[in-house]
Formats: sequence, C-alpha cells, structure tokens
Amino acid sequence: MKRAQVLAVVFGVAVVIVAIVALSSGTPTPGLIDNGDLSRLQEEGARIVDVRTAAEFTGAHIEGAENVPLSDLAAVADGWDRTAPVVVYCAVGDRSDSAAGMLQSMGFERVYDLGGGIAQWDGALAGGAAAATDAGVAPQVALSGLPILYEFYTDW
Amino acid sequence: MAPVVDRLKTEYEGVVEFRLINVETDAEGAQIANDFGVQYVPSFVLLGGDGAQRDLLVGEMTEEQLRAALDALK
Repeated sequence: MKRAQVLAVVFGVAVVIVAIVALSSGTPTPGLIDNGDLSRLQEEGARIVDVRTAAEFTGAHIEGAENVPLSDLAAVADGWDRTAPVVVYCAVGDRSDSAAGMLQSMGFERVYDLGGGIAQWDGALAGGAAAATDAGVAPQVALSGLPILYEFYTDW
Repeated sequence: MAPVVDRLKTEYEGVVEFRLINVETDAEGAQIANDFGVQYVPSFVLLGGDGAQRDLLVGEMTEEQLRAALDALK
C-alpha cells in the first residue's frame, strides 16, 4: 500500500472515531435543536434564554429559563461567557432565529435555537399560566350573542 | 393588527365579534390572556355565542386556517 493510501485510511478512521465520540457524548451540534436536545443541554448547565417579552415570559416559560427580550439581547449578552452553551427560544421560533444569529455574530461558540419555540415544548413550565384554565371552560366575558374571536398579540 | 385579521374582521362583521388584545399595552390584557390559559402570542381563542370556548389556536395562522375556525363557529 502506498504512503498516500495509508494516510487516507488513517484519516478516514480518525474521522469515524471523532464522529462516534461526538455522537456518544450526547452533546447536540449547535444550531436548531429539539426538545430532547434541550433537555440534555439543561443537564449540562446551558444558559436557557427566553427572548420573548416580559409579559409573555411571566405568562409561562421553560423551567430554569431567564428572560432577555430580543431587543435587549445584544447589550445583556455582551457580558456572558462566549464559550458556554446558550439556548434561545421564543414563542414559535422566529425571534429565536434572529437571536441565534445575533449571538453567533457576537462570537458565541455554542448557540442553540429551539425549533418551534415554547409552543411545541413538552417539558416543565413555570409561570402564572403554567396551571392553565381548564380546556373548554371559558372565563366570564361580556357576551353580545355573536360568536367571539379573541386575538392575543404583541407589537414586536 | 395583522392584515389577515383586519381583512377577516371586515368580512365577518355582524357574524363574529373580533376582540383584539395587546397583552402588553391593553389594560388587563395580560390578565384576560391568563384567564383563557393563553401562554403564547399570537394566540386565538374562539367562543361560541353562548360564551363556551370552542377552540384555541397558537401561532401565526394563515387566512385559510382562521377562516375555517371562524366558519366552524357559525
């Protein structure tokens, strides 16, 4: 076997070993993550950042998360350790996508973005609405006789 | 207010009452959201004429999705 072929084989084996080690360690690759990845990162002690507004955060948030609205993120994150893992999430994934890009551009090495946001989170919640109203039982509201559509929104 | 909701509000005038709540700036907005168990914005809560909650939709909705939910209230 020629020297070049031997080197190629050695390189290939090394790549496989690195991949196996990375996979077996359970550490997700930075980028979009799912609920299982977030649980693993929580165990690792990652910083979990809710980039929604304070009102949304108060309503309900992922247990252990801190609230840094997207508009404040650049200023607040400037003092954080850029080598530590940071997970961002929002309601459905739009604001966290912007937040992840912002943190990456600031030099953060391990930025994770919870795909689909808190809307699809199936783990523990904290906050006022964590004990939600029973499904199908509406609170007392003024009725006009017409069906009603409530839209709850924020300007962001 | 999103253009989709604006359009549908006009279209369903007299058929479905639209109540648009900014949870940050409207008085008691956050409290009303909490009463309905709304945890995320945008969310849409649909009530029948008797006040019974029929549906809770979470996230941005297409016009077709909202229209289907509104038509189900008739």
